[in-house]
Amino acid sequence: MSVDTHANPHHEHPDVVGSRNRLGVILLIVADVAFALSMVFTFFYLKAQNVNEMWLPAATEENPAITPVSSSGAWRITAIAAVGLIAHFMALRNVRSGNQSGLKTFGLMAFIASLFATVLQIQQFGTVPFTFYSGAYASCWYLFAVMNTVHLLLTAFISLGNWNRSRLGLYKADHWHVDIVNVWWVWMVVSSLLGAFSLSFA
Amino acid sequence: MTTMMEHPAPTSGHSPKVGIIRHLNIFTAFALGALTAIVVWRLSLSLLPADSESAPLFTREDKITLLSMIGWFVGFMTGIGALVAPFRWVMGKDLSHEENMYLAGKDMGVKRYFRYTTDHKVVGIQYLVITMTIFGMGGILAMLIRANLGTPEGGWIHPQAYNSIVGTHGIIMIVGTIIMVTGPFGNYIMPIMIGARDMAFPRLNALSFWLIVAAAIPLIWGQFIGGISTGWSAYNPLAGQAPLGMNGYIMFICIFALSTMVAGANITTTVVRMRARGMTWNRTPIFIYGVVASVALALPAFPVFFLSQVMSGMDRALGTSFYDTARGGSGWLYENLFWIMGHPEVYVILIPAVAALMEMAPVFTRRPLFSFNVAVMGIAGICGLSVLVWAHHMYMSGWAPLLNAPFMLTTELISIPTGMLFLVLVGTLWRGRLWMTVPTMSIFALLWNFMIGGVTGIYLSDVPADAFLHGSMYVTAHFHYTLMGAGLTGAIASLVYWFPKMTGRMLDTKLSWASFWLVQIGFNVAFIGMFFVGLQGQPRRVEAYAAIFNKGNLVTSIGAATIMTGMLILLAAVIGSWRNGVKASMNPWHAKSLEWTVPNPVPLENFETLPVVTEDVYGYGRKSS
Repeated sequence: MSVDTHANPHHEHPDVVGSRNRLGVILLIVADVAFALSMVFTFFYLKAQNVNEMWLPAATEENPAITPVSSSGAWRITAIAAVGLIAHFMALRNVRSGNQSGLKTFGLMAFIASLFATVLQIQQFGTVPFTFYSGAYASCWYLFAVMNTVHLLLTAFISLGNWNRSRLGLYKADHWHVDIVNVWWVWMVVSSLLGAFSLSFA
Repeated sequence: MTTMMEHPAPTSGHSPKVGIIRHLNIFTAFALGALTAIVVWRLSLSLLPADSESAPLFTREDKITLLSMIGWFVGFMTGIGALVAPFRWVMGKDLSHEENMYLAGKDMGVKRYFRYTTDHKVVGIQYLVITMTIFGMGGILAMLIRANLGTPEGGWIHPQAYNSIVGTHGIIMIVGTIIMVTGPFGNYIMPIMIGARDMAFPRLNALSFWLIVAAAIPLIWGQFIGGISTGWSAYNPLAGQAPLGMNGYIMFICIFALSTMVAGANITTTVVRMRARGMTWNRTPIFIYGVVASVALALPAFPVFFLSQVMSGMDRALGTSFYDTARGGSGWLYENLFWIMGHPEVYVILIPAVAALMEMAPVFTRRPLFSFNVAVMGIAGICGLSVLVWAHHMYMSGWAPLLNAPFMLTTELISIPTGMLFLVLVGTLWRGRLWMTVPTMSIFALLWNFMIGGVTGIYLSDVPADAFLHGSMYVTAHFHYTLMGAGLTGAIASLVYWFPKMTGRMLDTKLSWASFWLVQIGFNVAFIGMFFVGLQGQPRRVEAYAAIFNKGNLVTSIGAATIMTGMLILLAAVIGSWRNGVKASMNPWHAKSLEWTVPNPVPLENFETLPVVTEDVYGYGRKSS
């Protein structure tokens, strides 16, 4: 038996804690990736099947034909999310180089971008020319929009916390939280991009 | 396993300074959950507009039901304290060391089992109790099914209620078997076994458990508003036309999927990052491989199931048409999404149970595990192939007939890695000096049951044979042989084996032997009878049958009653031994893995000083050990 007493488990090195947390978040993202890819599969499966020609229903006596909405809205939201990601990445670079004010500024920008993207996404719901009942394409559109809204709300929540913590100076000693939030930002933009990409093939 | 020690644990002499956490427990959770559900229900009743004429049936009622259930969920999770830490993080007021120790249940006695406690040992016990509760409920439902099938005419239970009983029995038993090993033993034993002080994310650990409690209520709620009349698979578009109770199933699965994802990330991270020094992958116990393989399979599989239920809920409550063929949806879409989860889930259940028995085999034969590497390759092979076999559940559905042959091939290939696990168990037992305990006999029972389950599975994987057998009682008997005959046998053996470490007392030997024989004999009687009626052509999920099937059903009912008796005896053994059993020594089985190096009861932080592993965990019968 040998006893090594110089290390205290309650003061693990931040890199160790950060690396563990990073892996945990990546694994949770793996689950979310499976979810997102299943959505993409659903979209293209229903489009390819076009069951009863109801992917985009033709006009009837009561209802006009359903036409797909332009995917530019989805791309616009993705672009804003990407701006948020860049802002967050800049915040990360700043904190890595010890620049706390840069961290705060860019962290705030990332938060604002996530809020702006969320508002745009919610606004889209009121502008589409169809309802939930309007065939398979409309169903998929709503699915993508709802899931992107959930992602954006979560991102806004995390970004708010990240900015607030940087404002309080909690990232002076270590910054692995910012690192991990960056991982989430990357995935959020990729998932938004997947949605925009899919909706471009309506 | 020889160990050295490092890193002493500090002791805390501070008095806890905790805020709102002190006031939150299971009672506040239920109260807030119920209150939120009632408020949301009343608000949605008065505020939700009537559906337009083009809306499908039931959408307003479904909206109200689903919103109320979501209200319950949010209220419950708030009431138990799951949201405290995230909001504190946003506010920049992280939990203090005192608060974390309070959350871990330090010096809290029995109350810690009714709180959002983060200590992995508490979570393990909570999982054990909820698993036993689930099996109790599922068992009662099984006996109701057998009672109704006591005579060919059935009729004792209303057909709609009978369908709901079958569906509910199916889904809760599936959930029970998913958590039966990774829940109690993956949480309680696994961190100690790898030499860690706790899980990587203790709060997520508590979250994964309380999510299951939160999920249970919508399922029970659903029973009072029409039940789950679709069978456990809840195929669409049938589920889209089912009564309001279906919303309970949808919520149950969505919340349970969240729990599975959280647990998967937590367990995997713990094993990858927190193994003791010197515990290389070659020295990591096989049980750990089993647990990680199980949760790693579940991690990408359950989100797919989650999505299938989100879309099911949207079809019902919002009127979308993912599965409604008349409006552009597809039932095959649901079947694909369901079975992409559904088949890996079989191995999510089986692998940890078999791995637990592989862990015990060297202990009770006093021999090293026969080919550790083959065991690891077998587990990896099963995991890899299990994601490529889902469509064998859909041979007769008419979906992509050209793919039947490839799926038949992949399904039959999976018997190779499965055979490797058999080889490891048989090789370990071969010429060993057996210590005849319930876990030892469970290995034999598993080999027997799993052989029957596996061989009958090969017939079902074969397209021509499946054309005759699909949808029959033969299928029901087959999967009971795998999930119950193999999976549950491994779980009960795990309970007997680790009970001394979890409770500090030995499980009553006489009662556990009596239970073992009753369950195993009853099980084989019940499901051999079911194989016969299945081969004769009795369809599954029917509440009445032709007189020709009477004898087989009678045999099955006798077997089921025997299983129930055995399980009740096991329950009596667990309760009796936990309260008054013989006190267990630190290492009653003279095993070498790390969980047996800590005292009973296990200290809050497991190890006073962290261990360093220097030897093979299965080094039995060697001079050096």
